[in-house]
Amino acid sequence: MKVASGKWLVARAPTPTLPRKRERGQQSRLPFSLSLSLSLRERAGVRVVLLATCHLLLATALIACSPPPPDESLDVAIAMGGDDTVGFLRADSPREFRFPEDHGPHPGFRNEWWYVTGNLDGEDGRRFGFQITFFRVALTPDVPESPSAWATDHVWMGHFALTDVGAGQHHAFERFARGAAGLAGARLDPFRVWLEDWRLAAVAGNDLPWRLQLEEAGISLDLEFTPRKPPVLQGDGGMSQKGAGEGNASYYYSMTRLDAVGHVGLQGQRHGVSGSAWLDREWSTSALAEDQAGWDWFALQLDEGRELMYYQMRRQDGSADPHSKGLWVDTDASSRLVRREDVDLEVLDHWRSPQTGVRYPVAWRLHLKPEGRVFEVRAVQPAQEMRLTVRYWEGAVYVYEGGQSVGRGYVELTGYR
Amino acid sequence: MTLTSRALWRDARRHPWQWILAVLGVALGVAVVVAVDLANHSASRAFGLSLEAVSGKATHQIEATGPGGLDEALFTRLRMAGIRPSAPVVEGHVRVDGETFPLLGLEPFSEAPFRSHLTGVLDPAARELVSRPDTLALSRGLARRLGVEAGDSLTVTAASGRHVLRVGAILESSAPGVEGLLLTDIATAQVLLGRVGRLDRIDLILPEGSDPDALLAGFLPPGARVLETGAREQSARQLTRAFHINLTAMSLLALLVGGFLIYNTLMFAVLRRQALLAALRTLGVTRAEIFRLVLLEATVLALLGGVPGLLLGLLVGQGLVHLVTRTINDLYFVLSVTGLHVSPWLLLKGLGLGLGAAWIAALAPAWEAARTRPREGLRRSGLERRAHRLMPWLALAGVALILAGYALVPASQGLVAGFIALFLMIMGYSLLVPLGVWLLSRLLARPLGGVLGITGRLAARGLGAALSRTGVAVAALTVAVSATVGVGIMVDSFRTTVQGWLGHTLQSALYVTSPAPGDERAGSLLPEGVMERVGAVAEVAAFSTGRRIRVASSHGDVDLFVMDPAPASFEGFRFRAGSPAQAWPRWQAGEALLVSEPFAWHHRVSVGDELKLHTPKGERVFPVAGIYQDYGSQQGVVLMARDLYEQLWDERRVGSLGVYLAPGVEVSTGVEAVRRALADLPESSGPVLVTAAAEIREASMEIFDRTFAITHVLRLLTVGVAFVGILSALMALQLERAREHAVLRATGMTAGQVTGLVTLQGALLGLAAGLLAIPLGMMMADVLIDVINRRSFGWSMQQHVPPGVLVEAVWLAVIAALLAGLRPAWRMGRVRPAQALREE
Repeated sequence: MKVASGKWLVARAPTPTLPRKRERGQQSRLPFSLSLSLSLRERAGVRVVLLATCHLLLATALIACSPPPPDESLDVAIAMGGDDTVGFLRADSPREFRFPEDHGPHPGFRNEWWYVTGNLDGEDGRRFGFQITFFRVALTPDVPESPSAWATDHVWMGHFALTDVGAGQHHAFERFARGAAGLAGARLDPFRVWLEDWRLAAVAGNDLPWRLQLEEAGISLDLEFTPRKPPVLQGDGGMSQKGAGEGNASYYYSMTRLDAVGHVGLQGQRHGVSGSAWLDREWSTSALAEDQAGWDWFALQLDEGRELMYYQMRRQDGSADPHSKGLWVDTDASSRLVRREDVDLEVLDHWRSPQTGVRYPVAWRLHLKPEGRVFEVRAVQPAQEMRLTVRYWEGAVYVYEGGQSVGRGYVELTGYR
Repeated sequence: MTLTSRALWRDARRHPWQWILAVLGVALGVAVVVAVDLANHSASRAFGLSLEAVSGKATHQIEATGPGGLDEALFTRLRMAGIRPSAPVVEGHVRVDGETFPLLGLEPFSEAPFRSHLTGVLDPAARELVSRPDTLALSRGLARRLGVEAGDSLTVTAASGRHVLRVGAILESSAPGVEGLLLTDIATAQVLLGRVGRLDRIDLILPEGSDPDALLAGFLPPGARVLETGAREQSARQLTRAFHINLTAMSLLALLVGGFLIYNTLMFAVLRRQALLAALRTLGVTRAEIFRLVLLEATVLALLGGVPGLLLGLLVGQGLVHLVTRTINDLYFVLSVTGLHVSPWLLLKGLGLGLGAAWIAALAPAWEAARTRPREGLRRSGLERRAHRLMPWLALAGVALILAGYALVPASQGLVAGFIALFLMIMGYSLLVPLGVWLLSRLLARPLGGVLGITGRLAARGLGAALSRTGVAVAALTVAVSATVGVGIMVDSFRTTVQGWLGHTLQSALYVTSPAPGDERAGSLLPEGVMERVGAVAEVAAFSTGRRIRVASSHGDVDLFVMDPAPASFEGFRFRAGSPAQAWPRWQAGEALLVSEPFAWHHRVSVGDELKLHTPKGERVFPVAGIYQDYGSQQGVVLMARDLYEQLWDERRVGSLGVYLAPGVEVSTGVEAVRRALADLPESSGPVLVTAAAEIREASMEIFDRTFAITHVLRLLTVGVAFVGILSALMALQLERAREHAVLRATGMTAGQVTGLVTLQGALLGLAAGLLAIPLGMMMADVLIDVINRRSFGWSMQQHVPPGVLVEAVWLAVIAALLAGLRPAWRMGRVRPAQALREE
């Protein structure tokens, strides 16, 4: 469940039980809410987000809904998205995915994101982890009618992080822009998604290879992604049911193994790098009902050519929610649903952020029972906290099995406080 | 020291009125200074806050040099090149309920580093404004004032017409500068202000020490430039500086009068206590101690008067700040803050000035007291003799001061130097006053004696005989009254000149304008189609067009008035320099420019000099062919022919039409005909105003009078201080004369006669002050018109001395003196001679 930038996007459906204003305190204690009613049949796809709540309130009594304090992570999503789903398209029936067209935007839906993480090795042996997310939020279902080129119904949010493993450094950046005046957007023919000078674009046409170029505060990334496997559909043929009721779902696919080649620029130095990346794409309109504390999401790429995606939703008491699930992708790109009961997840180690005081798990034992595999997942370094408008932990990890390094991946942790 | 203090304290208790009046005088003086200071300071702070609310934390701003604004694509180009923090702004003015407000169109997702009004995703107000077109946000205070709540609609008149906007959000921000602002999303502002596709500026925060030109090289299109935010503020502040200096000088005049009052009170107290002081000296009190004692008295007076003065100043300042900000709004730019800002420093300064004035005023009395000899207290007659001996020297010093003042005028071009010269003259003149009083008493003794007998002669000679006190009282009143004369003549001359100018400058019968306030760079604009429609009206013989824009030039930002004259338009211009016959053809051919008189003054431009203008076609240099009279703009205007403007700017729209009617057509018929012709303008094109020239004339004079309202208020306050002064002087005089009067009574004068004598003396004092005030007033008017006003605004005016002002001055002085003399006269009449004789 990718929270990070985009992941909490799939918003909660409006229900009569929406919190009223005076319950905001409680609400902020539960920033990430997932539906209890995730269908058991649903296959993995919950990388979803909860663009939460107070929008209904916003619509009626805008002023009453004062901006949340910045550390109340998900409330950003609150301010950005909303609960009013009227007028938006819903993920209410299975659809046929078409590639490469589906790499482009799906503007009828309220939320959508392009999310890439990866582990890179420098020619000089220096290791890096990176995350980039382009996050589209529609403010209203209709484009405002105005002769001004600045009129828009869209806000874009971008998150970019680079973990400099050798130096023990973690750099995280955030950016917002309106989807107008050419500042941010997503297009096909040729494919590109950009937020000012952060851009991810097809080298030609719409299909991969894609090139990612961005620079912020002297840190730059210039990578080309070439797929090693075709897209895999998450959930039920790409429809990922998030909550009870028709339409409370998202469309969701991933590209679990992309070759990444290019450069990382750091402190005026260019490092030639190569490695492996992971793309997540999801779009939706409605959200989940709230009730969860947060989630731990794993995207692991094994050297043997298989990948595991697994997310575990945590309840208030810290226990795992039965709706946690994932996907096991074989070398031939065939995939199998991973259910909650298929996995034992045990935290081995914690780390407390010196900046925020929040304690995050940073090492786990993950037992995938049907495959009989026991992985040990360890953060490449504990300091990978994203202290942005939304606060979470997202970082590169090593995967070990029987004491041997067997792969690498990315982990996202939300809802810790 | 305790003995001496006690002795003096007892004296104060015996003559409380003297001290109360002195305290009142100080209080009034300090109050006026503090009030004006407060008002100035608040206006200046309002200005800073207004600017800060608009500029935020921007270090630099990219703006267009011409009226068109920036191409909006520039912002995207900058962002794509990674130049940030940067924020696009569209700004202008709109009118709501007849009041003008600055409107700021912001891009909330770029705002966080700059301003805190609307900041991005966390701000529901920002979301609302972005996602709904035609919504605006305003402060809680302004919403209350306009009587709207969130969700209500608000009708605004903007460049693009009348719009009904929804109040999308009420900002709870406590930033004072936001108070008077209307905020919208940038898209909404573009539509409202008719700026679709354009930005007014791009705010930047550049790292310290970076070279903005190098950083932005390759990005700035022709006609755009990058400016430091501070520079913009500075040039705007420069505009109002003269206005603030003028107010401050007026308030210092009140303090000066207050100083006279302190001098009078202390001097009188010293004289009255000669015997006491002599006794103290006999007891071994040293001169230094006596000197310090009088200074201490002055300090106590200043503090006793200063503290209530501060409170009074706060009260008066409350009212003045509205007058000041209104004047600034009328003359310069719209301020979005009108609150009073009180800083402790400012109050301390007011108190300090009061103390300083008191000490300076106390020096002479203290010196006088210190020279009291131990044994024989100086006889009054001795003192008077000395005063008379001193008179010629004082007069000489006075003449020297006046001459020094006159010499200072050409020595410096500065406004402050002008005021110093003015104060030198006032001080010098007040030193001449005793001589004037003495001469007057001599001159009047015979005729008064002839008419009123002994009473008349006694009254007249008594004035001359008591010169040591009457001199100062009359000087105080003279200065106060002369200020009313000087300022009165100045305002009247100004008014007459402006009236005359309006008469000949408003040549057209009627004007077509847009009621929507334009922004300062592009000016207000008439909708498309107006010119064609007006041209087709049968009653219209011809029309001129005008448009005012702001452009960058070799002399900073200047206002450019673009005119396409009608044949009769040329009559509306009076040249101050250059020959119309030669200038106009060159101007029309686009070879030369004309500038207004204030422009020529401020920029030191004369005929034949060159002006360099930044145009979209690059820099162009034009000679100045003539300088014309103009009171429409304080900073001055450059006049350009429309053909030339269109060629340089590729812009055809105009801001106003001056319509000349066919012979024989009544103005009202013409107005009707033009209104009918414009009635079919599409609704979306924005409102158009058709106004008869007479109405504009009236409205202009109304603004003029409003501008000088504050001047009148200050004038009255100064007279108030002087009134207290004369009252105090008369009371002192009469109290001291109690014995003298008793002798008169004892030798057969009736109570009525004594009352008459005292009243007459008061009237004579007033008359002397009134008459003496006239030359000083004329002198002041001269300096105000030819030095102060020119240096402040660059306006020349014909001096016009209204007889009313002079008569008023004498009456004012006489009535003030008579009123002040009422109580002393009444008291003197009732004193029983025997008792009064026994008292000494």
